[in-house]
This record gives sequence, C-alpha cells and structure tokens, in this order.
Amino acid sequence: MRVKYQEDLAELEVSVMGAIDMVVGQVDRVIEALMHQDLALASAVIAGDDRIDGRYLEVHQGILSMLALQAPVAEDLRLVAALLHIVKHVERMGDQCVNIAKLLPLSGHDAPRRDEIVEVLVRMGQFARSEVVQCRAALASRDVALAEDLVSRDRDVNLLQREVFRLALEAGDDYETREWAMHMTLVARAFERIGDNAVDIGEQVAFVVTGLFREFSDSSSGPGPTLHR
Amino acid sequence: MSAAAAIPAPRRRERTKGRAFRWLLLSTIVVSGALLVTLLADVAIDGTTSLSWDFLTSAPSFDPRIAGLYPALMGTVWLMGGCVLFIVPVGVATAVYLEEYADARRWWNRLIEINVQNLAAVPSIVYGILGLAFIVRGPLSLGPVVLAGSLTLGLLVLPVVIITAREAIRAVPPSIREGSLALGATQWQTIWRQVLPSSVPGIATGVILALSRAIGETAPLIVIGAAGYVAFAPSGPDSAFTAVPMQIYLWISESRTGFAELAAAGILVLMAVLLLMNGVAIWLRNKYEGKW
Amino acid sequence: MTSSVIAARDVETRETPLEAVFSLDNVQVCYGDVPAVAGVSFELYKNEITAFIGPSGCGKSTLIRCLNRMTDLIPSASISGSLRYHGIDLYGPGVDPVQVRKRIGMVFQKPNPFPKSIYDNVAFGPRVLGMEGDMDEIVERSLRKAALWDEVRDRLRSNAFGMSGGQQQRLCIARALAIEPDVILMDEPASALDPISTAAIEDLMLELVSQYSIVIVTHNMQQAARVSNRTAFFNVDLDGGRRVGRLVEYADTETIFTNPSDPRTKEYVTGKFG
Repeated sequence: MRVKYQEDLAELEVSVMGAIDMVVGQVDRVIEALMHQDLALASAVIAGDDRIDGRYLEVHQGILSMLALQAPVAEDLRLVAALLHIVKHVERMGDQCVNIAKLLPLSGHDAPRRDEIVEVLVRMGQFARSEVVQCRAALASRDVALAEDLVSRDRDVNLLQREVFRLALEAGDDYETREWAMHMTLVARAFERIGDNAVDIGEQVAFVVTGLFREFSDSSSGPGPTLHR
Repeated sequence: MSAAAAIPAPRRRERTKGRAFRWLLLSTIVVSGALLVTLLADVAIDGTTSLSWDFLTSAPSFDPRIAGLYPALMGTVWLMGGCVLFIVPVGVATAVYLEEYADARRWWNRLIEINVQNLAAVPSIVYGILGLAFIVRGPLSLGPVVLAGSLTLGLLVLPVVIITAREAIRAVPPSIREGSLALGATQWQTIWRQVLPSSVPGIATGVILALSRAIGETAPLIVIGAAGYVAFAPSGPDSAFTAVPMQIYLWISESRTGFAELAAAGILVLMAVLLLMNGVAIWLRNKYEGKW
Repeated sequence: MTSSVIAARDVETRETPLEAVFSLDNVQVCYGDVPAVAGVSFELYKNEITAFIGPSGCGKSTLIRCLNRMTDLIPSASISGSLRYHGIDLYGPGVDPVQVRKRIGMVFQKPNPFPKSIYDNVAFGPRVLGMEGDMDEIVERSLRKAALWDEVRDRLRSNAFGMSGGQQQRLCIARALAIEPDVILMDEPASALDPISTAAIEDLMLELVSQYSIVIVTHNMQQAARVSNRTAFFNVDLDGGRRVGRLVEYADTETIFTNPSDPRTKEYVTGKFG
C-alpha cells in the first residue's frame, strides 16, 4: 500500500544520511588540513559546504512536500519532523567545518605552531568524526542505545576542549603565538559544537523511536527537561 | 430525568385511533377474503363432480354426461399462442422506443404516452367491436378465425405489456447504460446487450399478467364471432374456434339440466389455470426483484 | 549557511518535453441557457495524473464528462469553445462519439459492474467494438493491469456482484482498460470506497500512469495531493447573480499544496471553505 509514499519517505532519509556522509568527509579534510597546515585543502572544504547547503534545501523542500501531499502520521510523522531537525544540525556541522577551515589561513603560512595543541585538536577532530559516524549509524538502525552512548563520547570531546584552552593559556609570550593559540581555541570550540550537534541528532533518533523528546544528560549541563510528545 | 419523562408515552387518543384503524383494515381483508372463498366454494361444490380427464378431452355434446372441454381448451391455447407472438415484439418495441429513443419533450411522444395509459382502461367490448370492424371484416377481412381472435385480444392487453415493459426497462439503473456507453457501445448495442437482457424477468411478468387477463375475456370473443357450438379443435390460425370462457357462457345459458355442473367445472379449470399463471408471474417478480 | 545563492528548489528538468493530450480554449458548458462552467482554458499532459478539485457545483464533473463526450447524453447540454484531443477538435463535424469513447475511457463514482460474469464484464467492451484477438488473453491482460487477476482468476464466470466494492471498482477499471484507451477519466473513483480499497485504487493509478494519461475528479483534496502530478482548482464564481464554475489555478500539485498563488486556492486547500 502507498508504495510511492514509502519510497519518497525512504528517499528523504537516504538524502539526510548522504548529507551526514558529506559532513564526515568535510571533517576528515579539515583534520588533514589542520595537521599539515594545508591551505588549499582548507579552501576546498569551504567550497564543498555549498553541497551540504544545497542538500539541506533539497531535504527541507522534500519534507514540506511530504507533509503537504502525503500527510504522514504516527512514526512516519515523527521521522519527518526528526529529519527536519537532523538536517539542520547537519548543516550546522558543515558550517563548523567551514569555520575551522577559515581559521587556518588566518595564522599565516608560517604559523608559530605548538605541536601539543595541534595534537589535542586532531584528537578532538577524530572523536568528533566518530560521533558523526555513530549518530548516522544510530539513525540508520534506529538504535536508541547507540544514540545515548554519544553522550559519553561527547564528554571526552568537552574534556579535550578544556585541555586545549589550558594549553593555549600557557602557549607563549609573543604576540603571534598568543594570536595563533586563540584561533586554536576557536577551532576547538568548533569541534565541540560538531560533537554537540551529533548528540542532538541522537536525541532526534530517540524521539523517532520512543515518541519522547528527552535531552540526553551531558557533561556541560545536568539532565535536561523531558518533553512528552 | 425519569424514564417516563425522557421518552414520553403516546397520548391515549392516538393509541385508540391507531388500534381502530388496524381493526378497520383487518375487517376489510376478512370481508373480501370471505366473499372470494364463498364464491370458490360454491363453484367447487357444483363443479367437482364433473371434473375428470374425460371432461378435459372430449368434445361438447348435447348429452351433459359426455360433454367435454377439449375444443375450447385447444381454442384457448391457440388464441394465447397467437396473442403472445403478437404482443411481445410489438409491446417490447413500443416500450423500448418510449423509454430509450423518444424525446419526452416532443408533443407526439407525450401523446403516445397518454394514449397508452388510456387504452389500458378501455372496456373489452370496445376492442371486440374494433376487432369485428377492422380485423374480421374491413381492411384485414380475416373472418371469425383464431388469428382474428389473437389479434383482438392482443390489442386488448397490449397496453398492459407496454406499461410493464416500460417499468422493467426503467428499472435498469442509468449507471449500467452510462457504463456501457462509456465503453464505446452505441445506444442500440446498449439496449440489446444490457438493458433488454436485464429487463427480461419484468417483461415476462408483464406478458404473463397480460395473458391471464386475455384468457378470461369473453365479450370481445363473442362480438368477433367465436362460434358457439364447435366440436373440433382449431386446425390452424385460419380456422373457426371457441374458447373456454365462451364454452362456460354457453353451458350456463343452457336451460337443460346437467349443464350447470359442467359450467362450474369449466370455471374451476379456468381458475386453476389463472392461479397457476399468476403464481408463476409472482414467483418471477419476487425472484428478480431488488436485484439492483 | 554560506552566502552563495542557492535556489529554493532546483528547476525541474523533464527528460522528455511535455505533450499535450487535451487542449481547452475558452470552453463553456451550458445546460439549456444556464452556464455550468465557463472560460476554461488549459492543457492536460500525457502520462500525467491531473486532478480536478473544487467545491461542489464548480463544474469539475461537467468538465470531465466533456472530455469523452458523455455530455452528449444530456439533451439540454451544449458546449462552446475549442476542445482538442491530440490536436483534433473533439466536437467537430464527422467526429464519432463512439470512437471518442474508445480512446478515452471512463470510470465512475459508484462502481457499476454489469449484471454479468466477471469475464463478460471485461469482455463487453472489446466485443461491442469488434476488437480482434483472443478474448481470454484480453481479459487476463486487463485484469492483471487492474491488479485484480490473482484475486479472481478462479471465478471468472461468477457474477460480478459477488465482489467487494473495491474489487468491483477495479473491475470497472479493468473493463475500461480492455478497450485499450489512451486516456482514462475517473469521476471520483474512490469516494464510495473504504480507505484500504481507496489506497489500492491510488496505487493502481500510480502504476498505470506510465502507460496512460489519467484525469481524476475528486472532492478529497488529500487524494489529489497524494496521486496527482498536476492539479486544477475550480471554484464557483458568483458572476452577476449567476453561479458559474471557473478554473482558478492550474499548476503542479506540489505548488498548489505548498505555495498556491491565488488566495481562493489558498483558502480552499487550507479548508477555510468548500
């Protein structure tokens, strides 16, 4: 029954997951650019964000269409609403990658690097990347446990962010080093935001499955309010 | 709110009126039923003694002990046969024309329609005169033969056939016609393949009812000259004939003793045939009623 | 979001150009002197499902019946304006309505199977039209296309009235398909059916559209939203005291239901009247 509707709905979901895949690619590239101070790669990341924005608009229009034309209910409706939120978070994640990419050239070609800071940042990036992959898997398999596990992942990312901050404070006395270090704290913040967005996606997955919207408890704040459907 | 207040009881006057009405209706049924039963009983008492197989198979004679109904029965059979052959095509064709082709707004079609209704009420003796003037004598000049009798009786009952056939055709829902036309059928194909096949039970009922009227008609037959004393069955559409009602009439008119019982027996036969025909018509109607 | 300008919707590019099946130009239908629907000009395209929606009395049923000359059956009906089918004037002299109905089939609101067997129902059209070919094959093919074959293959000779409403309607569709039309018109085909049968008919429409062009009249907006590619919204115009049906907006379905341009369309689809 309603074959076309089922197909359209599945297509929307595939579209969103494709967008998540794009973000994973962007995160990989941005980590790479960070490690090797590769400014060309950074520009590619900035240009590549157009694809994610395009996908966002496509999905947005597709969801409007689906709501207007097919009137989904029950779990289908929750899925559609969740996809709308999820794709927004994906778009934000893409923007964070762009922010990171934009921060790299600001330090100039001979950046006064502190390797220990870069090392922590790369690790943050990798953790953030794994969070994105995990939230995609949670969505694909509707796995609430997997979604909830993102919180502990995210705690690690937050801890690393504080580490970067601490290291940046002790970075050095000269102006250029301090400037570079401040930019790196912004990079850390961007990675942390990527992680937060992944946790938000996890919350949406839980909503689709359970019908309850609950903020997962994370390390940055206590347990949030539970909103019943 | 108490039960009585929630649904108020009917007022006493209404209840009494209702009951009185029911009794009135019941009594009318009882009276008419009683009359019919008395009639039948009277005839039965007189006639059953004369009923026998010999009665049905012998020719009439001056001796009431050996007189029989055979030529009259055969005459009636021939008459009815000819009648059916006449009324079915003419009646159905007229009904089809009036229902399917005639534009109801045209004056001549309205005229035809009104006339059909009127003709159904014309007294049978008028048809007898008509038959005498135009079929037995006049333009057709067939003489007082079976064919003339069939045609006259046919004209008499034709309006009944037309009216019932029209009802049967009208009962076919327009959705069936629409469906057929939407598939590319012409109007004629729709009528021939959808409307008429579905109307057959209704038309058959109408024909049987028409025949059961024709079978008992005496006046027209007398006028067109069905013979009084005929000792043979008809040999063809062009032979002289008599019919059961005629025979009964003659026997009743006979003043000599013994013929009254014969007449009663004849009436019993006629009634049995009528009952059978009407029964078949009712069965047909009930079987196919509400098929839509 | 980056600052680059991205269109809200990619412009849809069709693989093949649109081919008009019907072209209407200022079509007006009157019953006697009273116009039922007037000033209708638009085109209906091949291999699409076009829906006619609108409040009761807006003339959508009248208009769809013009497309296969079923209005000819109503003596007082008259049509003016130009109504072309693949370029041919449908009401021109020398155009045989019977041939028109062979090419443009119709399914009605209340399922109307003939009081015959399932086999004879489907075979009726081909028989009266004198179509050549193995009748058994034609019947089977049509029943398969209407997604009914598996359910009735063992009782083709049984009476059509023994089927459920949804099955009867699919039988009527099979009957219409048997004459190998080009276009299928459906006048509220599912309004007499329960939701499951309705969904089955809608799925069937979506399957058939690759081979046929379909026009559907429906008073159920959600149905139009679910199945149609393009939607025409008709409304009753109080034209100087007279109620006349007019075409208000005609666009692809997504636009009609997400962003209609005419305020009357907006009010109708959001349920504020009608």
